[in-house]
Amino acid sequence: MTGGGPGPGGAPPGGRDPSQPRPASFGWAILSYLIGGMVLYGFVGWLIGRWTGLPWLFPVGMLAGLASAIALVIFRVTKS
Amino acid sequence: MSDVAVSMPGCHIFSGCGYPAPSISYFYFKPIFTIGSFQFTKPMLLAIVSAAIVLTFFFVAFRKPKIVPRGAQNLGEMGVLFVRDQILRPQLGKKGDKYLPFLVSIFFFVWIMNVFGIIPLVDFPPTSRIAFPAALAFIVWVTYITIGMKSKGPIGYFREMAIPQGAPWWILPLLAPIELFSNVLVRPFTLTIRLMANMLAGHLLLLVFGLASWYLFSASIGLLYATTSFVLTIILTGLEVLIQALQAFIFTTLTAFYIADATETAH
Repeated sequence: MTGGGPGPGGAPPGGRDPSQPRPASFGWAILSYLIGGMVLYGFVGWLIGRWTGLPWLFPVGMLAGLASAIALVIFRVTKS
Repeated sequence: MSDVAVSMPGCHIFSGCGYPAPSISYFYFKPIFTIGSFQFTKPMLLAIVSAAIVLTFFFVAFRKPKIVPRGAQNLGEMGVLFVRDQILRPQLGKKGDKYLPFLVSIFFFVWIMNVFGIIPLVDFPPTSRIAFPAALAFIVWVTYITIGMKSKGPIGYFREMAIPQGAPWWILPLLAPIELFSNVLVRPFTLTIRLMANMLAGHLLLLVFGLASWYLFSASIGLLYATTSFVLTIILTGLEVLIQALQAFIFTTLTAFYIADATETAH
């Protein structure tokens, strides 16, 4: 599960070496971005949809949230 | 034992009785005793036993530590070193060694609770009831938020949790809410649900084939079905052993990752 991370006991002193790839657990963190984006903007879309009487804004909000979450993941991974 | 399991005997295929499919009622227990409105049930007992096992084992193992470890100390050192080298060091490096006791406790507590799912006569993983993973996730949540606020100050920490690194400024209004929402709220939820759902599904799966082996058992072609189902139960028990360890590992790895995320200065 830690494949890609520094080997057992071979971690650099004083924290993660930025030149090394992230540990696989970052992959698990991506899941929380995707869920977070969909739930948050899905809820916003649902609220606006209720307010304006346009129920299709709920799925649109979810898709927008998913798209933003993917963008967020790309920004975080490609940085550095 | 739940009521459904007790009503099981005598129900076989071709006897005009349908398959008593396991349901969520198998996860509810009659209280062992009650104090007022508080009901003490089997999962609570198992959680306490599991904590006692972990405490006793590590107390015995490191009571009189020797340079050349033997017996329980050997095993205990293997466990601690596993958590340190496979979970803690890849995430936090050497400076994270002060979190080792926390991570070791979480790993072994969760693992023992999971393993109760396949121990004969115990046969129930307390982690499949959401309260146990939720309480653990809450402890993890409080821990990493406190560590983050301590190492960066409350404002600095929340600024970092809200503003994703590497994103251009014009998209920040769209992404900052996701970052904050996912860091503060989604993390403990996914931690809880992942552990609970895995243990619940695994326990149900074993129940389905375990009950089917008994239900299909009869002096007919049913014997063949029962054998197949029984073999599957054994194979799936092996799979469960793997998943139980894996879920404890993932829970602890993510805890270490959240702590690392809270202490790292830049992502």
